[in-house]
Amino acid sequence: MGNVSIDEKLNLELESFLKDIEATESLDELEKVKTKYLGRKSFLSTVLKNIGTLDPAERPIVGKKANDVRKTIESKINDKEKYLKDLEFEKKLREEKVDLTLPGKKLPSGKKNIISKVIEEIEEIFIGMGFEIAEGPEVETDYYNFEALNTPKDHPARSLHDTFFISEDILLRTHTSPVQIRYMESHKPPIYIIAPGKVYRRDYDVSHTPMFTQIEGLAVDKDINFGNLKWVLQTFAHEVFGKDRKVRFRPHYFPFTEPSVEVDVSCNICDGKGCRVCSNTGWLEIMGAGMVDPNLYSFVGYNEEEVSGFAFGMGVERICMLKYGIDDLRLFFENDLRFISQF
Amino acid sequence: MKITFNWLKEYLEAENLDPEEVSTLLTMSGTEVKKLDYVGERYRNIVIGKIIDFYPHPNADKLSVCKVDIGSKRLNIVCGAKNFDREDKVAVALEGAVVEGQLIRKVNIRGEVSEGMLCSEKELGISNDGSGIMILDQGFVVGESFSRSMGLDDIVIELEITPNRPDCLSVIGVAREVSVLTGAKFVIPWHDRGKEIKLKEDSLDGDLSISIEDYKLCPRYSARIFYDVPKTPSPFWLRNRLILCDLRPVDLIVDLTNYVMLETGQPLHAFDKDLLVSNKIIVRRARSGEKIRTIDDVERILDEDMLVIADERRAVAIAGVMGGKETEINPETHNVLLESANFWGPGIMRTSKKLGLRTEASNRFEKKIDPMLTIFAIKRFEDLLTKITGYKSETSIYDNFRRVQRERKIDLRLAKVKKLLGKELDSHTVSNILKGLGIENTVERDIVKATVPSFRFEDLEREVDLIEEIARIYGYEKFDIIPPVCSLRKGGYSFQQKVIKNLRQTLCDIGLNEVINYSFLSRSLFESFGLHLEKEYSNPVKILNPITEDFELLRSSLLPSMVRNVKNNINHGIKDIRIFEISRIFRKSENSKAPVEKNTLGVILSGRAKAKGWDEEEEFYNYYHLKGILEFISSKFICSDFVINPQEYRFFHPRVSGDVLIEDSKVGIIGKVHPVLLEKMEIEQDIFYLELNLDDFVSKVEFERKFKSIPAYPSVEIDLAIVVDEDVKNYEIEQEIRKSGGKILRNVRLFDVYRGKQIEPGKKSMAYSLVFREEERTLKDREVEIVVEKILDNLKRKFGARLRS
Ligand SMILES: [Zn+2]
Repeated sequence: MGNVSIDEKLNLELESFLKDIEATESLDELEKVKTKYLGRKSFLSTVLKNIGTLDPAERPIVGKKANDVRKTIESKINDKEKYLKDLEFEKKLREEKVDLTLPGKKLPSGKKNIISKVIEEIEEIFIGMGFEIAEGPEVETDYYNFEALNTPKDHPARSLHDTFFISEDILLRTHTSPVQIRYMESHKPPIYIIAPGKVYRRDYDVSHTPMFTQIEGLAVDKDINFGNLKWVLQTFAHEVFGKDRKVRFRPHYFPFTEPSVEVDVSCNICDGKGCRVCSNTGWLEIMGAGMVDPNLYSFVGYNEEEVSGFAFGMGVERICMLKYGIDDLRLFFENDLRFISQF
Repeated sequence: MKITFNWLKEYLEAENLDPEEVSTLLTMSGTEVKKLDYVGERYRNIVIGKIIDFYPHPNADKLSVCKVDIGSKRLNIVCGAKNFDREDKVAVALEGAVVEGQLIRKVNIRGEVSEGMLCSEKELGISNDGSGIMILDQGFVVGESFSRSMGLDDIVIELEITPNRPDCLSVIGVAREVSVLTGAKFVIPWHDRGKEIKLKEDSLDGDLSISIEDYKLCPRYSARIFYDVPKTPSPFWLRNRLILCDLRPVDLIVDLTNYVMLETGQPLHAFDKDLLVSNKIIVRRARSGEKIRTIDDVERILDEDMLVIADERRAVAIAGVMGGKETEINPETHNVLLESANFWGPGIMRTSKKLGLRTEASNRFEKKIDPMLTIFAIKRFEDLLTKITGYKSETSIYDNFRRVQRERKIDLRLAKVKKLLGKELDSHTVSNILKGLGIENTVERDIVKATVPSFRFEDLEREVDLIEEIARIYGYEKFDIIPPVCSLRKGGYSFQQKVIKNLRQTLCDIGLNEVINYSFLSRSLFESFGLHLEKEYSNPVKILNPITEDFELLRSSLLPSMVRNVKNNINHGIKDIRIFEISRIFRKSENSKAPVEKNTLGVILSGRAKAKGWDEEEEFYNYYHLKGILEFISSKFICSDFVINPQEYRFFHPRVSGDVLIEDSKVGIIGKVHPVLLEKMEIEQDIFYLELNLDDFVSKVEFERKFKSIPAYPSVEIDLAIVVDEDVKNYEIEQEIRKSGGKILRNVRLFDVYRGKQIEPGKKSMAYSLVFREEERTLKDREVEIVVEKILDNLKRKFGARLRS
């Protein structure tokens, strides 16, 4: 075995290895290749084992060459092994059986009552304008429900409120307006409040339920005028029903406001042309309002020359019906989960 | 209220009033127009015809063929009726007319051409008489439009009159409004024929005396006698106007009283004078138990708060509400006593309410009408009677009237107008609006001095009332929209409102649906839950005048109505139910007339917590699901835990029934609804119920949390399983473990309860996981062992517990 020949053989060995490793397609095959080129019986092992028999001058040269070849082989085998292992893992992942279209794990879902939801929406609109939320009893005295609201006994407006009585002068409030009086009694202006709550009227048919929900509002300050009422209520109507809706203010009568207003928004179903929902008027009534009647100030001890204000009231169910297109009032208190879960 | 457009125009001097424009102006000034009904349109192509000749239909026994003259030509019309003759005037629907929804066309009926239709009153929508065709008076002119001849070429205006405007419950009142809104001049189109009329105060001489017992209840009673009234039927225009305004025509006298009421707003009543026992009219209070049969043929029992019109023997009318049957106008009536009176509004309202009898008259009186109207209305009645029948009368109007001040002066400051309405209006504008409304005024610098007329005396009392008149006539839409100039301020929720809002959201987030029930409850449902026997609930608030028995009580617990929600939903096929309600409950108060109201949360779980899924088993709700909700609430809202203290309630399962406590005070109840109760209600699944008093709960809530530093040293976790008697409660064991564990014991959690083979009967094994930790250093094993031994010792001493090996 001459020098040239060892060197050449090492080159040939490397060449043969590169060809083999290229063709390797599995870890088993790789193991065989590894044994063939690095194993005890491999040419490389033989060369290194017999290096001592060589001419001392040749030893370092052959030794270096053999080691270089071994390093190259080892490194290629490692690379290939990693490559094949990744391939195999990938293959294993791909063999997993998963149906991504099976239903997910159910999380429970509950719904706020539509009335609560709409009350909260309305509250937030007014809170944004600096209003607070006030509350009052549902069982009221005749004084707060009628008398102090400029509706003495025998006032014709009382016949519009068919009232449930607990005793001669204790009754279920027929509107949320008594909260105005209670709040003014215990606070000094400026006052900016809304008062949501249940109210009761002795009326039960397709378009009346004996209990329903109102939101009352009151603003009393040094210089509140009719233009301010229009601004606040128009802003509200645009927030609830959309900026594209027209808002109109129509004179009306309430015993505790003067001047009194009814607020309409344009009907979105017929676009103001007139349809069944708006009784062919093109308008939908959404609330009553007005400048606070000065008589109320005398009931709560304010000086009517020093303050002015406006009040408004709306039926929450009506707002819900208009906003969501609900056509049957009775649905609100039947508590059918097929209804509640829609909102 | 309904009036017609032509009627309105009689009181206005205007050439071209547009009904749509008038309608909008009325609506936008506070007299809301509900509907415009173009009645005349219904009679398009219906004309007056005359039957020239007729003969039997050659091919049909029941039909006739008529030759009908309609002025411009003669038509051939096949007709099924038999009630006509040659020369009869009839209503002919021509080609293109629509009768009862059917379009009239030229048709061939069994070989005979029919070029129109002869109509019955029913087909014309005038009455219910469909027995034959309508035969018209000979005075009708052939070829004329039917609707014009009949006073039906009109528009019905349906108005909503607010209770403060009794003056507008009349054609004249509305005409005044239209006048100021359009500028058309308001006019009275008829003459006062009454120069010869003399007014008499209460006196006994002459034909009539009027005695009034109480001038508060009856400030004025005017009357007139019409002798020998002609028996003429009401003309069609009169009848039809009444029909269009929803009043039923009766006979001429009654129709005229109604017509004048609609026109002037003054209710009139006509008596058959000869049926009154004497010439004396007495206005007095009814006697207690006094009876009268009213013209609707109902016997009414009266009391002393009611006012009657009486002769010397008995009541002949309920004042301002309805006349009596015995003295009403009838076919034999010769002499009529016409009453035009004014009654005290509140009195009429009470009477009408008590009797459950509301009439056109009572509706007007209760809103306080103008006493100055009485004579005016009698004169109008006479005017119409004369026009229709040629009747002439020489009798006097009798008038008993306690005169009252009916004029009011109000100073209106222009500055106040600006302050309240946000816009400056000049004195000229203000003055003109008031004048247009009939309110005379003069301007003195910045003050308009106004004099309110009698017909607005009741509703215009103060400066602000005039400002409203100005605003509504000027037009609300003309006032600028102005953002309020107010001090900057923060709006928002109170603490309680925040907690409740947050709680509502939390409950929805964990899967509950919110219900809202009526606050009412029937006594039978109340008692079937045994609430009348439970001290806390047994004092419900009772409604004096409930609509039905279902609404008799106010709820003292949310339980019954929520169980009914479960029942109703099961009936709809929904069986898995998790619902809550946040509402007030009501209980009688010991020291106040008003009841106690408490904000209350009710929660119900029933049916399956989990349905069977592709990878999970179905699971039914039990008590511990509900308790889990309670624990979730406590971790979210408060620091102290809820503690359940067993306590029996009749509506709960005797063993699954308890009070909910926070810091030893009761805030609610929890339990499983009694199975017998559910069986009675035919509910076949368990229901678990929780009720919390939110006012008490909120007082315990602490939203604000303090930061605690994160533990720097590791904790030691020990599992401890003990065997105890069945009767020992988890809560007692936990309390003892915590007490004995001292300050290094950080957490105790029950993770297993076992009964069975490895344990002797009557005992159970409870396994707890205990977590120990020291703030400042790592705990030594030995330290923990000592504490665990102490815990075990104490459990042994207290409960006879032993360590489970
Ligand atoms: Zn519409």
